[in-house]
Amino acid sequence: MIFPEGAAARTDTTDVAGRVYDVVIVGAGISGAIIADRLSREGRSVLLLEAAPADDLTISGYETYLNRFYGTAMKDNQAPYPVLPPVPMPRSTDARPLPPGGGPNTGGYLVQDGPHSTDTTYTRVLGGTTLHWEAKILRMLPEDFELSRRYGQGLPWPLGYDELEPLYREAEREIGVSADIEDQRYLGLHYPPDYVYPMRGLPASFLDQTVAKGIDGTSIRVGDDEEIPIRVRPFPQGRNGIPNPAYDAGRGFTPVGAVSTHQVEEGGRCQGNNNCVPICPVQAKYHAGKTLARTLHRDVDLLAQAVAYKVHTDPENGRVTRIEYRRYQDPQSTAYETGFAQGRTYVLATNAIENARLMLASGLQDRADLIGRNLMDHAYLLTWARLPEVAGTMRGTNCTSGITDLRGGRFRRDRASFSIDIHNDGWGWATGAPVTDLLRIVDQDHQYGFGLRRSLVDQVSTQLLLAHMIEVLPDRDNRVTVDPRYRDELGNMRPVISFKVPDYTMRGAAFARDLSRQLFGKLGAEDHTGYDPAEYGYVEFGGDGYRILGGNHLAGTHVMGTSPATSVVDDHQRSWEHENLYLVGGGSMPTIGTANTTLTSTALCLRTAKHLIQELRRQDRPVTLATIGAR
Amino acid sequence: MTPHTLLAERRLPAEIDTMAELEAYLNAALRLEHATIPPYLTALYSLHPGANSDARHLIRVVAVEEMLHLTLVANVMNAVGLRVDLTADDFVPRYPAHLPSGEIDFLVSVQPFSQAAVTTFLNIERPAKAPNESSRLLPRPDLGAGTVLAASPIDPSRRFYSIGEFYEEIDRGLRHLDHLYRAEGRELFTGDVARQVTAEYFYSGGGEIVVVHDLASALKALELITEQGEGLGGGIYDGEGELSHYYRFQQLQLGHYYQQGDVPGRPSGPPLDVDFTAVYPVAIDAALADYPAGSPVREAAQRFNGTYGDFLAHLTAAYDGEPRKLLEAVPWMFRLRDDIEHLIRNPFPGRPGVHASPVFTRAPEERS
Repeated sequence: MIFPEGAAARTDTTDVAGRVYDVVIVGAGISGAIIADRLSREGRSVLLLEAAPADDLTISGYETYLNRFYGTAMKDNQAPYPVLPPVPMPRSTDARPLPPGGGPNTGGYLVQDGPHSTDTTYTRVLGGTTLHWEAKILRMLPEDFELSRRYGQGLPWPLGYDELEPLYREAEREIGVSADIEDQRYLGLHYPPDYVYPMRGLPASFLDQTVAKGIDGTSIRVGDDEEIPIRVRPFPQGRNGIPNPAYDAGRGFTPVGAVSTHQVEEGGRCQGNNNCVPICPVQAKYHAGKTLARTLHRDVDLLAQAVAYKVHTDPENGRVTRIEYRRYQDPQSTAYETGFAQGRTYVLATNAIENARLMLASGLQDRADLIGRNLMDHAYLLTWARLPEVAGTMRGTNCTSGITDLRGGRFRRDRASFSIDIHNDGWGWATGAPVTDLLRIVDQDHQYGFGLRRSLVDQVSTQLLLAHMIEVLPDRDNRVTVDPRYRDELGNMRPVISFKVPDYTMRGAAFARDLSRQLFGKLGAEDHTGYDPAEYGYVEFGGDGYRILGGNHLAGTHVMGTSPATSVVDDHQRSWEHENLYLVGGGSMPTIGTANTTLTSTALCLRTAKHLIQELRRQDRPVTLATIGAR
Repeated sequence: MTPHTLLAERRLPAEIDTMAELEAYLNAALRLEHATIPPYLTALYSLHPGANSDARHLIRVVAVEEMLHLTLVANVMNAVGLRVDLTADDFVPRYPAHLPSGEIDFLVSVQPFSQAAVTTFLNIERPAKAPNESSRLLPRPDLGAGTVLAASPIDPSRRFYSIGEFYEEIDRGLRHLDHLYRAEGRELFTGDVARQVTAEYFYSGGGEIVVVHDLASALKALELITEQGEGLGGGIYDGEGELSHYYRFQQLQLGHYYQQGDVPGRPSGPPLDVDFTAVYPVAIDAALADYPAGSPVREAAQRFNGTYGDFLAHLTAAYDGEPRKLLEAVPWMFRLRDDIEHLIRNPFPGRPGVHASPVFTRAPEERS
C-alpha cells in the first residue's frame, strides 16, 4: 500500500483555520480512518486531528518501532512506541496495587481511583491501538445483543446481530480477516449461505492441537440445568493468510501488505512470528495505517501533533461550533499553540476513555449524567500449567485457537460468559517467561552453555497458559471522570478511572478458575497458577483470591440507545444533545459480550459513515422555502 | 485460439525441436533462476541489523521473486510431463559463475553488499534485447573457470545475448512443439494439474503464480519471469504494475525511488539511503576447503551447506507432486537465515577483517 509522499505534513494550522470541512474527525485510529475513508470516497472534505506525531508512513519508519521493541528489555504493549511528553499514554508498567481505601495512584497517565487497579492500555500513535493489538477478531454473538431481554443483564442494544451482519462482513473485508467459515458457525453466529472469509484460516499451532487432543468432546456441567460440550476452535484473525479464491462470489481477495511511500512487497502473508503484540514485524497484521494510506490520496487533511483540548458548542442549540486543539512543534517539548478546527459535522474517534475525557473536560456532561459511566473492559483471568510433554510453546503467532463454547448459554442469567485463549507465547503474560525462566535456571540451577539452552527450551516448550476473557457488564459506578488537579503536560485533564470488577464477572472468573483445573487434569498438566495479593489486579471473591488483568477492550462510556434518558448516542452514534456530533467506537457499545471489541466497533463506524453520507446529502439538498401567506 | 492462429504466430526459427531439447532448456532455466538466489541472499544477510532498510527490502523482494520464477519454470515443466530435480551434484554453480551479457561477460559472486554487488545485480537483471535476429545467439568464447549459464543447452559453444533472449527461445520452442504435437494429433500439455503449484502454496500476498495447463498459460508464466526481471516492453514496471528488478536495483545507485509515471533513469520518488559501510565484510566466493579443518566456523559452514542441500531436496519434492510442501518454504527460509547469520557474524579464521560466508555449492566428497 503506497502512502502518498508528504501527506503527513501537507496540512498546517493555517490551512485548517481557513477551511470548514464536511467532517472534522478527532483521532486517526481505525475508527477515524475508516470514517475518513468512506466520507472522502464520496467526495467529502475531511480533517483528521491526530494527537501523536505523524511522519509519512514508510517501511523504515515502521522499523524504528521494531528496533525500539527489539532493543528494549521491557516488552510491554507500548514497548515499540515513543514516550512523548505532549501525548502520554497508559502503560501496564504504571499499574500499582492500591491501598484499601487509600488515595489514587497518580503515577501513570491514567489516574487510578480504584478500588480495582487496572493495567489496561491504549496506544497514542498514528493508527492508534491497532499498531499493538493482537488482531484476534470475533463477531459478537446474536444473543450478546439480547442479553438484557433474555437474561435481564446489561443495557439494551438498539440494534441486533442481523442489522450488523452486513457491516461485519464489510469490516472483515476492510481489516482483511483470515478464517474458515465452517469453524465459525456456533452459538447462533450466522452468515449468508455463500459467505467465506477473505482469506483462509491461519494454521493452528502444535500447542492448539495438543490441547485439542486432550479436551475435545469434554462436556462441562454449568449450573444445574446446562451441559456444554467444548472443543478447541481457531479464532478469526486480522492477519493476512492465503486468499480464498471463493471470496466475493469467486472474485477472490488481494491482501493489503506493508505501507510505505514507495513500492514494498511485505506483509502479504503472516510468517508466524511470535510478537503480534506489540508489533507485527512485517505488517501482515492489519493496522489503521493501511486504511489511512489509501484515504490520504483524497481530499483528506491530516493535522498531526494536534491534541484536542475542548469541544465548543452553541449554548442555544447544542451544536458543536469548533474543536479547540493544542499543537506542539517539538515532540520532546510541551510548548504549544492553540488552534481551532471547524466542520459541518464532528466525529470523536479517540477511544472510550479519551472520548469521555474530552467531553467531560469540555464541560459537556449530558443531562442524564451518562458520559464516562458504564466503563467496560474485558477482565482477563490467567491460569497456567506445565504439560507432561513438549508442546512446541513459543512457536506460531501469539494466539491461534481457544475455547469459545462458554461464550453463550443460559448460565448468563447468573454469571459472566467467557472465551478462553490458548497462548502460544507460554507463561509470558503471567510470569514474565521466558526471561524469568532463564534467570531461575542460571541463578538457582547454576546451568550454563548447552545445558542452559536445553533446560530453557525444555521448560518453556511445555508451558500452557489459558487466558480467560470474561465479560464485564456496564455499571454506572465504573467510570471515567476528570479533575482539574490532574493534568498532563499540555494542560489537558487526565482521565480518572474508578473501577470495581462486578460480582457477575467474578462469578464467571471463579467458574473459569475451576474449569481450568478440570482441563489441566484432562491434559495431565501440572497446575502452576498462583495469584499474589501484593500485586495489582488482585481481587478477593468468595473467600478465594484472583488476579484480574485489563483487556485493552475499552467500551461503554457513551452508550448507544433509544432515548436520551438512558443513552448518550443513538443507533448511528449521533449525540442526542449535539446534533452535529458523533461519538464513535467502543464507547457506544452497551455491552461487549466475549468478542474483542474492534470488529463490532468498526461495524458501528461503517454504519455511522453511511449515515453521515446520507445526512450530508440531505443537508445539501436545496431547501424549498414555504411562502408566507401561501394558500 | 485455433492451432492455425498459433501456427501463424510462429514466424521465427526455433532451436528447440524436440521434447528432449525443451527439457534441456527448462533445466537450464531452473539453474539460471536458482543461481541468482545465493548471491542475493548473501548480500541481503550481510547488511548490519538495523541499517540499510531500503537495500534490505529491495534485495529481499527480488530474491523472493527469483523463487517465484523457479516455481513458474517448475510449473511449465510439470505441465508438459517433465520432472523437476534440484538435487543434482552440479545444480548449484561454483561461484564465481558466468551469466550472459550483451557487451561484456561478467562474473557473479557470492559476496557482501557493495557497489560491486549492486553493479553485478544490475548486470544480471539488465534489460537487453539483441540488436538483431542473428545476434541473439553468440559464439561463446572459452571463459575458463565457472559455470556458464544461459548458454545454449543444445550447442554449448553458443550463448544467448541475454536472459530475455534465452526465455524468448523457450517461448518459440513451446509454440513450435505445441504446433508439432497438434499436427500429429497429440497433446503437449499432458501434465497432471494436481502437480501445479497454485497461488495458495506460494508465499505471497498477490496471485502472481500462473497455473500452467496449456500453451497460453505456459507463455504467460515465461512472460511474467522476463517482465519481473526487466520490465514490460522497455518500461520500468511489469504488467502487474510492479517495478522490475533492474529498476529496483538502479534505485540504489540513483538514491531515489521510482514512482508511477517515471521514465528510466529519472526516479522522482522519495530518497533512499544506502550505507555501504554498515555491512559485514564476508568472504567472497568461499569454499568449504577454505575454512580451517576442525574450526567451529568450518562446522557451521558445513552445517549450512548440508541444510541448503536439504532445502533443495524439499523444494524438489514440492515441485514433484507435493505442492503443499512449498508452504514450509517459509520456516525453511528462517532456518537458512539463522544459519547464514551464524556465519557472517563471525570472523574468518586467519583472514583479518574478513567474516565467514555461506557456501551454497555442494561440497565435493571430503579428501582424507
